[in-house]
Amino acid sequence: MGMLELRSIDKVYRSRGRPAVHAVRSLDMAVEKGEIVALLGSSGCGKTSTLRMIAGFESVTAGSIALRGRRIDELPPARRKVAMAFEGYSLYPPLTVRENIAFALKSQQLSRSEVSRRVEAIARLVEIDDILESYPRVISGGQQQRVSLARALVRDADLYLLDEPMGQLEPQLRAVLRGRIKSLLAEREMTAIFVTHDQTEASALADRIVVMEDGVLQQFASEKELKERPANLFVASFIGEPPMNLLEMEVKQAGSGFRLSAGPDVAFDISGDGLDQAARGVLAAVPRVQVGIRPQRIGVGEGAVRVRIGSNQWLGDQSHIAGECAGYLLIAVIPNRIAARPGDVVQFAIAPRHLNIFGPDGVCIRHAEVS
Amino acid sequence: MAGLEIKSVSKTFGTVRTADSLSLSVEPGEIVAVFGPSGGGKTVLLRMIAGMFEPDEGDILIGGRSIVGAAPERRSIGMAFQNFALFPHMTARDNIASGLRKKRGADAAARVQTISRLLKIEHVLGHVPRELSNGQKQRTALARALVGNPEVLLLDDPLRNVDAKLRYEMRLELPNLLRRGEAAVLYVTQDYREAMAIADRIAVLTAGRFEQVASPEEIYARPASVAVARLFGDPSINLAEIVPFVEHGTVFATISGARVLLGAADALPGDRPYWLGVRPEDLGISLLGGGDAMPARVLAITPMHEKVVLLLRLEDGKEWLASLRPDALKLAAEDSVFVRFAQEAVQLFDRETGLRVSLSHRRQAA
Amino acid sequence: MEHESLAGRIFRGAALTLILVFFMFPIVWILLMSFQTNEQILRIPPRILFEPTLANYEALISGQLRTAAGNLEITFMRNLWNSFVLSSGAVVLALLLGVPAAYAFARFKFRLGETIAFTLLSFRFAPPLLVLLPLSLYYQELGLNDTYVGIVWVYQLIALPLILWIVRGYFEDISPDIEHAYRLAGHSWSEAFTRIAVPLAGPGIAAAGLLSFIFCWNNFIFALILASADKQPVTVGALAFVTASGIQYGQIAAAIVLSVTPTLLLALYAQRYLVEGLSLGAVKG
Repeated sequence: MGMLELRSIDKVYRSRGRPAVHAVRSLDMAVEKGEIVALLGSSGCGKTSTLRMIAGFESVTAGSIALRGRRIDELPPARRKVAMAFEGYSLYPPLTVRENIAFALKSQQLSRSEVSRRVEAIARLVEIDDILESYPRVISGGQQQRVSLARALVRDADLYLLDEPMGQLEPQLRAVLRGRIKSLLAEREMTAIFVTHDQTEASALADRIVVMEDGVLQQFASEKELKERPANLFVASFIGEPPMNLLEMEVKQAGSGFRLSAGPDVAFDISGDGLDQAARGVLAAVPRVQVGIRPQRIGVGEGAVRVRIGSNQWLGDQSHIAGECAGYLLIAVIPNRIAARPGDVVQFAIAPRHLNIFGPDGVCIRHAEVS
Repeated sequence: MAGLEIKSVSKTFGTVRTADSLSLSVEPGEIVAVFGPSGGGKTVLLRMIAGMFEPDEGDILIGGRSIVGAAPERRSIGMAFQNFALFPHMTARDNIASGLRKKRGADAAARVQTISRLLKIEHVLGHVPRELSNGQKQRTALARALVGNPEVLLLDDPLRNVDAKLRYEMRLELPNLLRRGEAAVLYVTQDYREAMAIADRIAVLTAGRFEQVASPEEIYARPASVAVARLFGDPSINLAEIVPFVEHGTVFATISGARVLLGAADALPGDRPYWLGVRPEDLGISLLGGGDAMPARVLAITPMHEKVVLLLRLEDGKEWLASLRPDALKLAAEDSVFVRFAQEAVQLFDRETGLRVSLSHRRQAA
Repeated sequence: MEHESLAGRIFRGAALTLILVFFMFPIVWILLMSFQTNEQILRIPPRILFEPTLANYEALISGQLRTAAGNLEITFMRNLWNSFVLSSGAVVLALLLGVPAAYAFARFKFRLGETIAFTLLSFRFAPPLLVLLPLSLYYQELGLNDTYVGIVWVYQLIALPLILWIVRGYFEDISPDIEHAYRLAGHSWSEAFTRIAVPLAGPGIAAAGLLSFIFCWNNFIFALILASADKQPVTVGALAFVTASGIQYGQIAAAIVLSVTPTLLLALYAQRYLVEGLSLGAVKG
């Protein structure tokens, strides 16, 4: 039994004169106690609707939500025992930062000293202890966001919901705050769900990530799993910075295995042993498949694939090398620098075991081996 | 001969000196990124060049002639804006053609066609801006800036309002596109990775002054000040305040109980306090202790950009960040570890001025 | 939340009907009156069903008003024409002056700018009568009394502040970057104003023009004092229906219908244009 269970949730927005919008489609999702889950997707994918349904600001069109085993989807927000940080901060302008945070503790009937102890502890954590007596309008956007976060995290709740919690944070603080918040959540075994469009944030904070698109859950897995073993083409083309290289390749039977090729230089032999029955069936039946290879799995400098370099960019701790090969743009990411200039021909090494193969319906039929 | 020259330009709004004697020259065909925190004066600088404000002092030259006081339309400048600034009542084609002196005729049509093909927006030329996606709007705005082959191209954070995937694609495409016309390019951005990916040189602008103007590699490896060091790198550089001391002709410093070697004694002038900076990717983490290692506790592990970032608490209570290859070490939160760094990885800055203390001399001595 | 109960829907329907009846009743009643004779109108109790007559409209258009006391010459059509000339003249002038001024107030910060803008608006606060007494003296001196030019000029008190303040808001909503972009593309200041700023503020200019047209059309007091019979607009001309032998309700109603029609048509036409213009979007990128 999970901490939070969403069962076949649907959300349909109807407004007069416009077609109904099916924002969330039969979503099933279970979150364990102490887990941090990210809802990741582009705008309009249904992630915020999902969060707001859990918080109780939106009704559920169909399906049920249970928190700690009790149904909450009919309860008003105040009785669901959830704490929320809003994307627009929603701080109370006439209250100081300290009062804003303490306000969240009102319903818990704590002693005054306990309230101020908790407020100060959380304020130190998000580095707003020096502005506790200021009013929201005089502090920066990044500071307001941290106050909003503190106000949600200071409460005792069964579940913490954070809507784009770190989008506006000062870049130099982001990495530290992510670490601190993750450590706070883990230490207190707090269960949290946050919405973000930023993959970096999702992978840094979350134990598991829900990738959503068009209201449908595409994959619910750890960051590593999403990157190495995407469930379908959408996840493959969405996750990763940059995402997987995708090439259309011709399929030919070769002995007990298959030969995939996208031109004379780019050909790979896939042995039949690593494939399950269904995958073999698909490969035998279709003439072409989509093949994905992670930029970080491509070796640069030697290998069979000859690539004409389009750009070679050094970002301080990694190089992003993009080039053209058989009409496709191939991007490789390596930790060191190379001297290649645009126009040069460089060899890329791609190992057959690092290929993900997607069937005609977009579903991954053969995952790359993860070392 | 420089394409764009900015000579000791200053501008004050009220009591705030938004540009403080800025000098910079950009060669034709060169891309210089103006990078810095918001409010640092990047946009004002761009707007002075474009002719939306005039500088209080100093001179701006394009192709060798001063343009201060000239009307914007006489400056031979192409500009792309953060909010795209497309003309909502014109089609994408007319938007792009507005950047040409002669808007009609076969020549104009051909140039619009060429630039649209390069930017992959040929299929939406007949649409008005509200029918375009954000990415297409951005490309149309870029096409408009590029089509007239201006001597100077100004780009005001053009990728700010497009999604991450598109931003990445544009980051790859832009350098080649921008170099096409031999224009001097000033590229404003708030993202250091974008600046490093796109620019030949980066001008770091904070509080109205250029802190450093150098190649991306130079700035990352040898930042001119603590402020610059903190702006480049994600996670940003770890800093500790140290007072070095000399023993047996060698300079050491103590950080959180560990004695770290800094170099030969003649390198550092005396018992002054310094900032010692080490980038997170230059930290080594191991389970073995020693006099040169700082004991630390792992507070949290956060994966980031194909690496894992460790939030560490040192014994002196300070927090440091280390960034490792994911397969480097199997660790969990609450583990005790030891942190080391190589002497070459150390950056030193004067505690008072924040300026870099040169290490070249020290390295020779050591 | 999105599923409304039956009771709720009934209540909403009833409330809407009530509001509609409250606002539409006088208009419908006047329309009905305009097709009745004075006797029919004054009947008690009033009837909804009656034999319609076009006599009121005939009287207005022919200029012959038959009353119990005999025939009266009226100049209603002349008044209508005057209203049209005065209001459109005033609006055109106000647009020519007000749109560039609104642009200046929106785009350039200059010394006393806000003060001047507010002073112009404050003309709307002054009671017209207070202005009129000295003004009529000046007008007599200047020979502007009882001229179209004089009345159009004084109508600027109504039209100009309105246009200035409404259009200024529209100009401020257009990102200055759009104009900067146009200028950098090699166009002069005046081209940027006429090709970019004015078209983009088009809906606002139309709205302001329409509103000030209606305000001018409805003005009574300026023309009453400053114009003689052959320059008077309908608002003043309607006084002629109060005759020695009683008030001509039927003709008044017909006059109201005729004088409301142009503004109503204009509003209906412009509304379509306004909605179209406002959904232009992308003004802010």
